[in-house]
Amino acid sequence: MMDIALYSLVDDMVSKAGTEGVVEYWLRVGESYAERMGKEAYVGWPAFNVAMKEGRTSLTIEGEVNVLTDLAITDKDGDVIGYVYALKTCPMAPTMIRFIQKIGPIPDSDEDVADSYNNRIRDSAVSNYCITHQRFREIAANNITVAKQPLECLHLANKGRMGDVKMLQENLTRINVDDRHIKSILRSASCVFALIVKGKSAGEEIAE
Amino acid sequence: MAEAIASNPFVDVSVFLFFEDISDKQGVEGFTNYIVGQAKSLAKSVPEEEYDNWEDFANAVVNGESVLSSFENIKQISSNGFVTKVCPFAKAIREYIKRLGNFNPVHMEATDHYNHTIQPSAAHSACMMHQTYRNEVAKRIKIGGKPLQYAQIAAKAYTGKIALPPESWKKVLLEKAGISETQGFMEMRENSCLYVLYVQE
Repeated sequence: MMDIALYSLVDDMVSKAGTEGVVEYWLRVGESYAERMGKEAYVGWPAFNVAMKEGRTSLTIEGEVNVLTDLAITDKDGDVIGYVYALKTCPMAPTMIRFIQKIGPIPDSDEDVADSYNNRIRDSAVSNYCITHQRFREIAANNITVAKQPLECLHLANKGRMGDVKMLQENLTRINVDDRHIKSILRSASCVFALIVKGKSAGEEIAE
Repeated sequence: MAEAIASNPFVDVSVFLFFEDISDKQGVEGFTNYIVGQAKSLAKSVPEEEYDNWEDFANAVVNGESVLSSFENIKQISSNGFVTKVCPFAKAIREYIKRLGNFNPVHMEATDHYNHTIQPSAAHSACMMHQTYRNEVAKRIKIGGKPLQYAQIAAKAYTGKIALPPESWKKVLLEKAGISETQGFMEMRENSCLYVLYVQE
């Protein structure tokens, strides 16, 4: 019931704090959620990927993740700097289905808040919940080290309830992955992201 | 009955955090107002219902066909006494504790605020949402043309603490439910919530 209440809460919040206010709330919730999960350290990528597969990391509390080990990201020297991961089911999907089933259509405020985020901050939300979810991943990744190096989460693409797709071209370019490849992954996933060593890229290193 | 779809606890926990963030900005009063306000909005979104008689209504509730039982399994224990075995927020509360640790004290502060300013019936902040939802949904249900009435008797928190109304109310509510105080306590050993549903004669 807690999750169902979220839509009425967002609806209420939009009428009181506006869509921009709700975006700010969601961003803070994502940050505090990730911060409260604590830090994690792994000796290397194999250990981290096993933990991801087994759902033991703070990042996998959102649901089952496909670890795409065939999509290793390498830097200009050929060293592995990260991997691509696909979240099988959006955490909001069960809530959306239940809301539609028990209450009715999803309120317009859901899309209004997502639009506010897409227009002002980053064009990557297909529902209002993406705002907190994506922020959670980004902050949680910073709290994980692999071989003593902190991680960075790059959101790549996600798919909405009606099949609408958002893709962040700048992040795809940074890890040198083709968007057609990501689209094919999205056929059986709701969200695709990369976890790489902070500051690294498939080409030159990114300055802090 | 419709297919049961479980929520993702990731979402449940983030809603608790959303309320905590509201309380950071607007205090315990803001927390309480939002949780009550959104429960009212949610209840207003559900379809209205009408039943010819009490028996039809009670059957619909127990069989999970009424909006009152959309989010919980309800059992009838007497003519007007009803219980919910498992709190629909129990999973979310468990997941919060499992993932984040102790509950933020602001939840109990908001619960106290609700108990002092609205009605003394909440054992946890989630009860404020749940009881408001039930109260508002009851207004949308007509039995023989009359609106359904709802009153909370007891609610049990995850700590085991039971919220009870003042003695004077308790007596009236138990009488209305058609159960004794001892029966009420026996029910609360097995269930998370005890309440009375009735139609004003």
